Amino acid sequence: MKTRNLSILLASLFVIAGAVFAAGARAEGEVPAPPAIGSTIDDFTLPDVDNKDRTLKSLAGKNGTVLIFIAVQCPVSNAYNERMAKLAEDYQAKGIAVIGINSNAAEDASAVKAHAAEHKLAFPILKDPGNKIADRLGASVTPEAYFIDPNNKLLYHGRIDNARNPAQLETSDLRNALDAALAGKTIEKTEAKAFGCTIKRA
Amino acid sequence: MRFTKAIVPITLCILLLSLAVPAQKKGYAGKTRAVVSPIDTEALKGLLTQQRERPLLVNFWATFCDPCRDEFPDLVKIDKDYRPHSLDFVTVSLDDFTDIKTSVPKFLDQMNATMPAYLLNVTDPEPAINLVDSRWQGDLPATFLYNEKGEVVYKHIGRVNAAELRAAIEKVVSKKGDGQ
Repeated sequence: MKTRNLSILLASLFVIAGAVFAAGARAEGEVPAPPAIGSTIDDFTLPDVDNKDRTLKSLAGKNGTVLIFIAVQCPVSNAYNERMAKLAEDYQAKGIAVIGINSNAAEDASAVKAHAAEHKLAFPILKDPGNKIADRLGASVTPEAYFIDPNNKLLYHGRIDNARNPAQLETSDLRNALDAALAGKTIEKTEAKAFGCTIKRA
Repeated sequence: MRFTKAIVPITLCILLLSLAVPAQKKGYAGKTRAVVSPIDTEALKGLLTQQRERPLLVNFWATFCDPCRDEFPDLVKIDKDYRPHSLDFVTVSLDDFTDIKTSVPKFLDQMNATMPAYLLNVTDPEPAINLVDSRWQGDLPATFLYNEKGEVVYKHIGRVNAAELRAAIEKVVSKKGDGQ
């Protein structure tokens, strides 16, 4: 009986050690996995650039909301400033709100505010102290976009489009998703890998 | 006589010019500038899947990526320790293509990096990212170690731990060439 218990213990230890080894070997970084397409994003509260608390619910559009993780210093995110401003302008009229989220620990609210003014980013931008929302959404880079419907169901996650350089634009994945949702059609591509600068977590 | 007088300054000028021309090809501090080659998705596929005699270490990085810059001195040391006799090592920059002759070689020069350097020249990085690893989101830095069969034996997304990477390299490098 003792031998059997010992065998079970050793087998358990072996399995645990194997799992730990496998996890270590994966070494995927520390960013939590993003929520699956179709899952619901819970409401959250974050301070805006004037340190006033805002909820997702209060900023949401009647036809959906786009959350974009952005940065002040990232050249990739900055390459998208004009496109993000235009996106917000174009879809505000269609009932889709755009919200920027800055989760970079080294970029404070005043820097985010000055950057938004300089680049004419007219949509609300929230600071994410301690990158809690970036962690909840599994955001790893800037710019990285999430599109949720009026019930906060995640419909699209990933890049804004294929090209940092607008002259090489081929696929406007985010706009395609928004247009499909507005037309009541199925979104063909619900995920596209976002490429950009790693979010500098606290 | 006048010709003889004139030839001295002319010769001096030619001599000075001949010294100045190669100096323009050099970077700052008199070092040769790193050469960064463009690579597209097909060429990257060829690089990763070709038959090889030695393990291959590939580091994906960009000048705008702080952890990439932070880890580079460790990678340069690893390159100098292993590439001469037991490991192939290439870097692939995901900077904008316009940086191929400016900020990318400048940074490599600052790092004294001499490993083959590429810059991904694509309009859409997603196929290349998926080619490397479908689970990789494209966040940088990303480091992959392939054995001679082309199998990934180690990967790390984020700033690499030099000791961990060295341990992984030690496991796959050929002992035959060690110490040469």
